[in-house]
Amino acid sequence: MKLRYAGWLVAAGAVLAGAMALSVSVGEADLPWSLALDLRLPRTALAAVSGALFGIGGALIQSVTRNPLASPDVIGVTQGAGLAAVIAVTAGLPYALVAPTALAGGLLAAAVAFLLGARSGFTANRFVLGGVAIAFALRAGIEITLTTADAIDAQRAQIWLLGSLNGLGWAEATPLAITLVVALPLLAMAAWALRTSALDDDTARGLGARPVGVRAAAGALGVVMAALATATVGAVDFVALVAPQTAQRLARTERPPIALAGVVGAALVVVADLVARRLLAPTQLPVGVVTAAIGGPFLIFLLLRARRA
Amino acid sequence: MMGRRIGLLLGAAVILILAVAASLAIGARPIPLDEVWAALFHPNGSETAVIVHDLRIPRTVVGLAVGPALAVAGLVMQALTRNPLAEPRILGISAGASTGVVLAIAVFGIGTLAGWIWFALLGALAAGAVVFTLGLRLGTGSSSPITLALTGAAVDACLGAVIYTLLSTSTRTFDQFRFWAVGSLSGRSLDLVVQAAPILLLGLVSAIAAARGLDGLALGDEVAVGLGHRIALVRTTAAIAAVTLTGAAVALAGPIAFVGLAVPHAARALSARFGTGTSHALLLPLSALLGGVLVLVADTVGRIIAPPGEIPAGVLTALVGAPLLVALTRRPRLVAA
Repeated sequence: MKLRYAGWLVAAGAVLAGAMALSVSVGEADLPWSLALDLRLPRTALAAVSGALFGIGGALIQSVTRNPLASPDVIGVTQGAGLAAVIAVTAGLPYALVAPTALAGGLLAAAVAFLLGARSGFTANRFVLGGVAIAFALRAGIEITLTTADAIDAQRAQIWLLGSLNGLGWAEATPLAITLVVALPLLAMAAWALRTSALDDDTARGLGARPVGVRAAAGALGVVMAALATATVGAVDFVALVAPQTAQRLARTERPPIALAGVVGAALVVVADLVARRLLAPTQLPVGVVTAAIGGPFLIFLLLRARRA
Repeated sequence: MMGRRIGLLLGAAVILILAVAASLAIGARPIPLDEVWAALFHPNGSETAVIVHDLRIPRTVVGLAVGPALAVAGLVMQALTRNPLAEPRILGISAGASTGVVLAIAVFGIGTLAGWIWFALLGALAAGAVVFTLGLRLGTGSSSPITLALTGAAVDACLGAVIYTLLSTSTRTFDQFRFWAVGSLSGRSLDLVVQAAPILLLGLVSAIAAARGLDGLALGDEVAVGLGHRIALVRTTAAIAAVTLTGAAVALAGPIAFVGLAVPHAARALSARFGTGTSHALLLPLSALLGGVLVLVADTVGRIIAPPGEIPAGVLTALVGAPLLVALTRRPRLVAA
């Protein structure tokens, strides 16, 4: 089992590296390698880092809630970020302020979901349902804003909601990468602690673990990662659902494996961004559309494969 | 137990009747109930009678068709997938209907509700058929509920990409679509309800037929078989119910959010508080009644909350229902499917 996991981790890492190299070398113009690195690496790096954050965040949220359908957009993080961003776009705020506003919105929504969940000890279903209620209410807010805005503003906001890497680079990638590195020890702790939380609460307590605290901490970590990624590149949230599920099916583990989910998420967003740039070039598609178009069929393929096995 | 069950259903029915009365009486122009009554049974051509007959009655009837349909569909989906997050959107059926409408606007240039209803219905049925045949065939035994849910999520994501690609080609399509996509009861004529009625009826009958089998499924496949349920038959019947009810409801009023997800949970929480169990024979009518209440109340509130405009029911179902769901699910005895 361990060997299988390590093998897939290496394989996924190789796919990621290959995709990144391809993403840097392919583009509108044929550039010498050094220039291509300068121009295209920032965007490729951002795709990788945000994809990793989505994958890890999704894996943590799915582990904590024990629900494979749980993702940042189910518990309200995406909608919180989205509502804040849509209001910022339609109110004509400068573009530089949209992402911080979105981050604040996402974290605020997550905080409310957590306060509601805390009272029920983060038992999976009730925590998720509180988040779902918040997500729907915020979604309603987004719809009110979109239907009252004029069509051009609304369409721009819609593009943000779908997620896009256009015009982004080091300025966005660096803070995300720093977060990821800083969070690594925390992630290792969470991965270790979550093993005990697979047991029921009483058994876990008997073994000296603190299941509620572990769930709260791991969930909070996942939410912060997903919120950061959403605020930076928009609602590419299908990654957070599909990457952990893919990782779990590849490695045949009980719960979504955190590291593999991160690498798979990174590879998915890098490939999707490459397709988004090149498919209808020079028109650029939002990356969120492509992650859905690639990730959806891939998930079905994995389910097909599982049946044959 | 039986008495409490009947009491619970009667209580919900009384609330629904109050919601219907409010929906007929309240609006941009409030009409006293006695005048509503007079206009209902002695239409005399006065302005009041025209408002009641041409505006208030159709949207109340649409609400009474759509709310229960979505709620029952959600209940069936949650039981079928054994996942409390299952709802029309998660299973890709809403996205199917939306794809149908976008195709109607972008490819066929159709710009009316009456023209969209068949596209929405066909889209929902096609997506539902794909999700359920694929999902139920791929997963066998205990893996089946989760496989079904994941297949739905995957199909939903793919259709979302299709919708975006079509929408991004023209601002006009986007502009027409965004108002449909919110979900609303206004401007739907009674003819539309009549057209959708046979499909709604088929869905309701299938849901009732599957109710006992769903009780069995909740106990796990082996127990269900041991109790004499034919699992494949139950699943197919339930799938037909979920797809037809959602398809017809979304075709009528657009993808009204939250009802299919929240109402079954509200019904379960209420039933738990009254100690009346989790049998689908009770949850099904209770969800239907509460679904009607939620949609009608949301629609009525939407008419008066922002005069002189209106806020569509699809926006307010979540705003009205979310606090309720949070309050109900914090009760200690909630049993989720």
